[in-house]
Amino acid sequence: MSTIITTHSLTKSYGDRTVVDGLDLRVPEGCVYGFVGPNGAGKSTTMKMLLSLVRPTRGEVRVMGRRMDRSTRRELLGSIGSLIETPPAYAHLTGAENMRLVQRLLRLGDGRVDRAVRTVRLQDHLDKRVRAYSLGMKQRLGIAMALAREPRLLVLDEPANGLDPAGIDEMRHLIKRLADDGITVMVSSHLLDEVDRTATVLGILGGGRLLFQGTRDELFSRSVPDVLIDTSEPERAAAATEPWGGTLDEGTVRVPGLDHPATAEVVARLVDARVDVYGVRREDRSLEDVFMDLTRGRGL
Amino acid sequence: MGSVRAEFIKLRRSLSWAVVVLLPLAAVGSGGGNTALSGEPLADGWHTLWLRVVVFYGLFPLAVGVAALASLVWRAEHEGGNRNALMARPVSGLEVAVGKFAALAALTAAMQGVLVAGTVVAGKAVYGLPGSLPAEYLLVSVLIVVACLPVAALQSGLSMLMRSFGAPVAVGLLGAGFGVLLVALRADALAAAVPYSLLSRATQVGTGVFADPGPITAEGAADAAGLAAAALVLTAVAVAGTAAVLERRDVA
Repeated sequence: MSTIITTHSLTKSYGDRTVVDGLDLRVPEGCVYGFVGPNGAGKSTTMKMLLSLVRPTRGEVRVMGRRMDRSTRRELLGSIGSLIETPPAYAHLTGAENMRLVQRLLRLGDGRVDRAVRTVRLQDHLDKRVRAYSLGMKQRLGIAMALAREPRLLVLDEPANGLDPAGIDEMRHLIKRLADDGITVMVSSHLLDEVDRTATVLGILGGGRLLFQGTRDELFSRSVPDVLIDTSEPERAAAATEPWGGTLDEGTVRVPGLDHPATAEVVARLVDARVDVYGVRREDRSLEDVFMDLTRGRGL
Repeated sequence: MGSVRAEFIKLRRSLSWAVVVLLPLAAVGSGGGNTALSGEPLADGWHTLWLRVVVFYGLFPLAVGVAALASLVWRAEHEGGNRNALMARPVSGLEVAVGKFAALAALTAAMQGVLVAGTVVAGKAVYGLPGSLPAEYLLVSVLIVVACLPVAALQSGLSMLMRSFGAPVAVGLLGAGFGVLLVALRADALAAAVPYSLLSRATQVGTGVFADPGPITAEGAADAAGLAAAALVLTAVAVAGTAAVLERRDVA
């Protein structure tokens, strides 16, 4: 599968503070790329660099096979729709006037504008001033304004931020519809749950660094859940497994980061110590747990 | 040009129109009102009325008005994600700068139109002056609009850089003071390079105030042409500068 966005060692520093640190992103064409990380992880800055709104301190961005910089951005941006940080739109104008403004600016035909508005299902609200729109409607209008140019790539920065559960669900469906139409969607969120069900590829950012990039299944397979051991003498068992980082957790011994051979070693050690082993299991972990571990710096 | 048409859509329901109407009417009201309150007749008819309305207006209210219009035209771009969206479209910095400037030029011309109309109405309705405003003042009005262009272009650049509404207006006020000072000191060479001076000077044409010789002569017309040329050059420089900064500057 070809990549639509590639970055090499993409870095942004403000003085001594590095907010994005050596990112090597690979966004496959046609995917929904979930760009996830806590607030302040560097997602918006990265997305701004992808659009050349912010110039990198180091590294480069390639979009659709071409280097994205101030000399090329105007050409490339013709195929990229975006919604960065808060939704755009002129509050004193109606939705229709905002769309007409984009139409005039980009010299687009009526058909494109109508399609964009219908895609976000805003056709019945165009005569209202944007000031009277709900946040969800503003987000949808912002996306319609980005879609009117019929982009190959759509970059959405936290589009579900501040929406109620129904709005979040609607946004998910919209992203799915856009992806079904063949648009590559890069969507960021500070909550994995918001993009987990729509993203086909995940990029997880923490402290400005790319902690993981791949599919949901790859993320699961590369994570090593803690081993939980039930024994006759939990305290002695915890002491015996201390060299592996074992701790007592509500009567169960918890040992992090063990692969299969190390698990066998730990069990053998307990048997040697004459501790009765009742059960050994891996902790059940949700994708959210894996994400939280990653972004708290525990690693996979 | 698409960006110009887009900017004109943004002017709908804009507060800018309040400035366009109220500021020149206030100038007509204060200039003409003082005369009415003093009970003295207008010594030289339309000429005296024009002088009383326009000269004070050109000292600082006009520059401040243009500065306020520039702040209003840029204000929406500093709200929400509009600046990101503006710069993430396949539109050059020059197109954006020209679009904003064109909107400001139209507003400025409309403001001068209100001033002329207000002066004519005051002359006829309040003072019962015969005839109408002499045609030379319509030409002076065109010159005033041209002289406003570099101020509009410069203030547009400042309002693009500053998120604050008031800061560029304050710069406009200081600029107006400096401009008037250069005109009063007859520092003509320097004044020709300062947009605010050109604006102030243009409002004095034909009035005999400060550096102005009074009735417009052939020599005065040549000076006016020079003033217009200087204004157009400064406008081009300011618009090009705004475009260059837009192209280079990161969106915070």
